[in-house]
Amino acid sequence: MRPDSVAWERAAEVRAAAQGWRRVGAIDASTEQAIREAYPDPCITPSAVWRVLTACMVAAVVACTFGALSLAFRPDRAGLQVLMFMFAAVSLVATEVLEALPQCARRGAAGATSLLGVVFLLVGFSLFLLETLNMRFDDAIDTALLASVLAWAVSAWRWGSPPYAAAAAISLFLFLGRLPHGRVLWALVGVALAGLAARRLDEASWAPSHRRGAAILVVAGILAVYAAVNVYSFDEHLLEDLGRFGAARVAPSPSLIVVSALATAVVPLLVLMWGVRSRRTFVLDTGVVLLALSLVTLRHYVHLAPLWVILALSGAALVALALTVERALRGAPGGEIAGVTADPLFADERQQRAFQIVPVVAAFTAPVAAPEEKGFAGGSGRFGGGGAEEKF
Amino acid sequence: MTHGRTPLAFTEDGGLGRDMNPDVVSAIARLRRDNVLGQAQATLFDRVARRRLVSVRFEIRALLYAGVLLLTSGVGLLVKEHRQDIGPWAIAGGIALAAVACLVWVIRNAAPFSWGAVPSPNVAFDYVLLLGLLLFASDLAYVEVEFTLLGPKWPHHLLVVGVVYLLGAYLWDSRTILGLALTTLAAWRGVSISVIQGSLPAVNAGNLRVNAVVLGALYVAAAALSVRLERKAHFEEVFANAGLLLLLGGLVSGVFGSELNWGVWLAALLVVAGLVMWLSFPLGRSLYFAQGIVAVYVGLLRLLFEPFRHHVSGLPFFLAAVLGLGALVLILAAHRRMRER
Repeated sequence: MRPDSVAWERAAEVRAAAQGWRRVGAIDASTEQAIREAYPDPCITPSAVWRVLTACMVAAVVACTFGALSLAFRPDRAGLQVLMFMFAAVSLVATEVLEALPQCARRGAAGATSLLGVVFLLVGFSLFLLETLNMRFDDAIDTALLASVLAWAVSAWRWGSPPYAAAAAISLFLFLGRLPHGRVLWALVGVALAGLAARRLDEASWAPSHRRGAAILVVAGILAVYAAVNVYSFDEHLLEDLGRFGAARVAPSPSLIVVSALATAVVPLLVLMWGVRSRRTFVLDTGVVLLALSLVTLRHYVHLAPLWVILALSGAALVALALTVERALRGAPGGEIAGVTADPLFADERQQRAFQIVPVVAAFTAPVAAPEEKGFAGGSGRFGGGGAEEKF
Repeated sequence: MTHGRTPLAFTEDGGLGRDMNPDVVSAIARLRRDNVLGQAQATLFDRVARRRLVSVRFEIRALLYAGVLLLTSGVGLLVKEHRQDIGPWAIAGGIALAAVACLVWVIRNAAPFSWGAVPSPNVAFDYVLLLGLLLFASDLAYVEVEFTLLGPKWPHHLLVVGVVYLLGAYLWDSRTILGLALTTLAAWRGVSISVIQGSLPAVNAGNLRVNAVVLGALYVAAAALSVRLERKAHFEEVFANAGLLLLLGGLVSGVFGSELNWGVWLAALLVVAGLVMWLSFPLGRSLYFAQGIVAVYVGLLRLLFEPFRHHVSGLPFFLAAVLGLGALVLILAAHRRMRER
């Protein structure tokens, strides 16, 4: 990242913290103003609505221009690749220019141009491998995945975009999955990635967005390890299916399945322990998700009870657990136990609750009233008509 | 904030150790040194920045949401698989009992009614309310299926559910339940604005379009009345966003779905979207403006592509790019002018 961009980001981080302090009344307006003056941020930072709107419109302009030129000149295969590389170059240069201007850097346009630039580059490169170099399909996929790792990693580093770090990690693990012993590589590289990235989570010399990228890599590493050791993934050859066409599938030995079953139970617990010890909520959240996946895996192999019992009991257990934790924290002296609280602290809870409306409405709205849909449909497990619809 | 009452010794070491947000930690030390922050303030902020005080509120909310989702799924599956074994009266009675238990808890814990915003008494309140109302809706749907009370007019049970949701939203001040009420009422009219299900299915597209436009206009009117009469004025955003989605979505659907009179639909879309964008400035609502400009852009694409529908040309794409540039300029100008609430 450019030194200026890092400095702006650091100032924005402090100003955002001050905004949170002000929101809950922990500081007054004059103190917040003093903090803003002490940490000047020349960037214009519109709200998420403006940023998304700008990014979508920039993406539409670039895509339509590409469509116009490709239809106007009707290029052959080589010409299409050249056009894609040209668009990639223009988009990436535009990103550099936009990132350097404080009035443009955070408007969403730079995000759209960088994304399109990398996508044009990778698609153009893949076409070049397949059509110009006439590479075999499997070899082209491997080379394109390596290029993807490199392109997304460089973009994440240069423009400090955490989603690009995720894209680089996904490309890396897809590539590793295609190598011999891909499962072992997933586990080893996953551990290494999570371990290395975890050491940088609080690195003061790194820009805030690079630290957020490191957090994404920690999660990616943990998920890769879990996918490698999960017994269902073993049983169904999920990672082996990523390999080259026609690669031999070797059935895992029974002892390996037992070890995998144990690992399926142990890995989420280890992640949860790490989350509790490090007091990092994103690690804790990852552990909770993995634990849920392990319980689903257990249900897949061991039919403890009918599905509806499992669902209802686990739902009731989750509600009870949440209420117990909340009540315990509320009742504790100072509203905290061992530095953990149920208070929102400085988070914008009003905004969080507004965002919550969308998933609730999406999950629980009744299906539309169409005559043929009446009833409790048997096939898909649909239960509805009156506000509850579930699909399994 | 209870945590300010338990100050720890604030170490103004300025050293950047591990396990913290280093930028904020160093800023707190500097602000304390410059007397911008008091000792108690700096101590609290420092604890949070160093993660010595961590909030798990989001995690508690996520657990409650997942719990409600699993519970309602379990009940749904029970009914589907065992309606013959258990018997209709037992199922209907059981679900009703669970719904009543939830709603009794809600009534006992709810704050007194007010036309203003009422904070939730605790983090579980919204979810127990949601569970109670979902169980009520499921029970009603089951009773309707099993006993066919409404006969061929069975979709009207969605009207009952929507109205009950609406009452619940006002009684217990829940914007989430209001969102559910509005989408359920839309479902009653055959329109889905659910993210999952897509919108405006092909059957009876004309009627659905009119339903969407009328319902959307009603919701927008309800948003305006909420503010004007100061009756749950904070519901305005939910009413207006759902209404604009239906209204503008219906008009855009008319532009693309009509073969003959799409020009009329486009004219109506331009007028309505222009009005929405214009009104978004005094209201300070960027989301309304965004919905308006996206609808205009998408609607005008038909105008650009229509003359070229029988031969392939790059010209409409070029014009669409120019139109997008114009929209971008408008967005930048609007952002500079709008004072967001």
